[in-house]
Amino acid sequence: MVEFTVPEVDYTRYTNRQLAAVPLAVLAVALLVIGGWYVATGAPVNPGVDFTGGTELRIATDAPQSEVTAAFDSQPESIRSVAADGTYVVTFQSGSATSSELQTQAEDAGFEVRSIDAVSANFGGETQLLALGGLAVAFAGMSVLVFAMFRSFVPSIAVVLSAFSDIVIPVALMNLFGIELSLGTVAALLMLIGYSVDSDILLNNHVLRRSGDFYESTARAMRTGVTMTLTSIAAMIVMTITATLFGIQLLAAIGTVLVFGLTADLMNTYMLNVTLLRWYKFEGVAR
Amino acid sequence: MSTLRDNWRVIFLVVAILLSTFALFSPTMGAQSASEADSATNLQFGLQLDGGTRIRAPLVGVTAEDVEFEGDSERVVERQVAAQIAGADAADVIARTGAESNTVEVTIENVTTDDLSAALDAAGYGHGEVRDGVTATTREETVRVLQSKINEAGLSGGTVQQVTTATSEHFILVEVPNRDQSDVVDLVGERGTVQIDIYHPTGTDNGSRVYETREAVLTQADFTSIGTAQESQTGSGAFVPVSVRDEPASEFQTAVQDTGLAQPGGTRCTYMEDGGENTTEGCLLLVVNGDVVNAFGMSGGLADTMRAGEWADAPSFQLQTRNTSEAQDIAINLRAGALPARLDLSGEDSGTSSYISPSQGESFKFDSLITGIIAVLAVAGVVFIRYGKPQVALPMIVTGLSEVYILLGFAAAIGYPLDLSVIAGFIAVIGTGVDDLIIIADEVMAEGSVTSRKVFQSRFRRAFWVIGAAAATTIIAMSPLAVLSLGDLQGFAIFTILGVIVGVLVTRPAYGDILRLLLTEDR
Repeated sequence: MVEFTVPEVDYTRYTNRQLAAVPLAVLAVALLVIGGWYVATGAPVNPGVDFTGGTELRIATDAPQSEVTAAFDSQPESIRSVAADGTYVVTFQSGSATSSELQTQAEDAGFEVRSIDAVSANFGGETQLLALGGLAVAFAGMSVLVFAMFRSFVPSIAVVLSAFSDIVIPVALMNLFGIELSLGTVAALLMLIGYSVDSDILLNNHVLRRSGDFYESTARAMRTGVTMTLTSIAAMIVMTITATLFGIQLLAAIGTVLVFGLTADLMNTYMLNVTLLRWYKFEGVAR
Repeated sequence: MSTLRDNWRVIFLVVAILLSTFALFSPTMGAQSASEADSATNLQFGLQLDGGTRIRAPLVGVTAEDVEFEGDSERVVERQVAAQIAGADAADVIARTGAESNTVEVTIENVTTDDLSAALDAAGYGHGEVRDGVTATTREETVRVLQSKINEAGLSGGTVQQVTTATSEHFILVEVPNRDQSDVVDLVGERGTVQIDIYHPTGTDNGSRVYETREAVLTQADFTSIGTAQESQTGSGAFVPVSVRDEPASEFQTAVQDTGLAQPGGTRCTYMEDGGENTTEGCLLLVVNGDVVNAFGMSGGLADTMRAGEWADAPSFQLQTRNTSEAQDIAINLRAGALPARLDLSGEDSGTSSYISPSQGESFKFDSLITGIIAVLAVAGVVFIRYGKPQVALPMIVTGLSEVYILLGFAAAIGYPLDLSVIAGFIAVIGTGVDDLIIIADEVMAEGSVTSRKVFQSRFRRAFWVIGAAAATTIIAMSPLAVLSLGDLQGFAIFTILGVIVGVLVTRPAYGDILRLLLTEDR
């Protein structure tokens, strides 16, 4: 049987500055991307139909894409073809036509309407408020809990900072890959709070609450933590691929964002968090 | 006995699994209707997985609070206010006397709060704040009427409820399985008002007749014992036989005499013909949702009994329509009553609607199951490769899956409908679950083999601190979405939280015990 072992990193070869520089630089770039997006488009990330309002139709037909576009009186915002079941997902912007009109147009063209989702602009705005508010409250709640658990500033802020980075990096990547913010991606960002804190808490717990050498503790925490994260990444990659083939957008969106976030988590936990802990253990406590 | 006591966690897990099996498969469990009883499990599926239409929309209307009725009755207030608003009649204005404050609502589109405020001023009623939206009573009435409309129309399984958003906006949520969007919109999109107007000539001007309409001589509430729609024996068309209540019946009798409809020999109505509007004799207009759907005259015989004042003693009546489906719609509207306010289904302020065809729902159901299984297999693969020991990895997979199984049992027991967001919650649960099991396994197996139960216990307890802490953060992170009643993420949040709780209390401790049984030599 093939076994993989988590490689041990010799942290003594790197200074705190060197180690922390990479994740901090990535975080800075991610924040720049989001900031730039905000300046350019007025939103930190492109909101999808769930939040801007609009209509999304899923239709089954053998017709080519051009024919699908031509069947509707108003110009679709986007058309995506789902190979697995021969359907198209057609999105219209809010206000271009009512969902009943679009249904009639699709049926007149001989397409089978598999699903319609219509969200008004106002309702979308409401949902966006709810989703972002929920995300903010969740993050704040997590931070409070982490501080309550560790009761010392540096280890707590290390967890909170790397969780923050775990959320910010996928959001920046969503912008770069053209993934819109949807209910599914919000769900994924929320899941990231839980997932990313897992491995950080594990690391902190091993280093702070166990006897033994710092590097030994870190190595042990890493063996477990990296296994956890790699398992999740593997599951999410597979899920993303399958869900994309089947055209289940909610699951595909969750999978993609989680893969981004968990990869960022590997870097943040074992470069940023470790560095902060090492500084705390060797210099912070001594002061 | 001691094995029982030592392994109580495993026993607890087995009991939980048995309970879930009972909830999932026992025919005595779950409030199943006869039509659903043929499915293999007691699981209920939401619209996303079963197909159907969901409409979530606010009600059209503006409301004035603290209105001084100046001793006028509600009816009078309604008429006075309606007279001040262009395009509104008394049916579009609702005056309510409440225990704390009297309110006036206007439930037609394009009336602003300023319009209502001005109308109340013009009608001489003092008032407090005028706001968008309708009163709670109106919302409750709307929900009741919508539910009875859905029942009358035979849309089985359809539900109507009120939901409130985080910013305390109110929406009406209508869910109808197995129906497409236009069916449902046709039924609930209109207020469903039915009334009879009298259209009659009042004289001539330059040789052409001048007409007047006396509106709402009979309205919905005036009809009683509504019969079933049936086809006319004579000629085309259909009708709904109804009776009229006593008081409106005699008023109606007077009205048809005053307007000349009950003239000797009756009237011949040509209103619906081309140009007939300007040449017809007096007509009764059947007005549904503000549109004239049919017009008919009065037979000589009926006119005679009207004039003699005998009709009101046995006031039966036929609402004639042009075809059977129109007659059926009218019968539904009469039995269910009119909506006090209309659902706002178009425009910027409206809500959401979604429709999933049953075949799409079916393929979502199957595809998401496959997706889930493949994700679990991926986890299993990584775990096997990492540990190489089947006695560590295999229980891990089984434990992870039993968590989902227990959650499914729970969903079946409380009748929570499964949707894609709930399935996403299951995936989140498997993810955090396997993470925790890896923590337990690594901790327990650290530093050589586990030889004694004591060593095992202390290691297990250390592992549990991390698991408990991680579970607490996940629960905190998900709870805001779980408590807000609106939003499609609620199912996701609820089941992630439930899964974490079940995991920490039942399945993950049991995994620890299973590992101990398999790894320790000292029993």
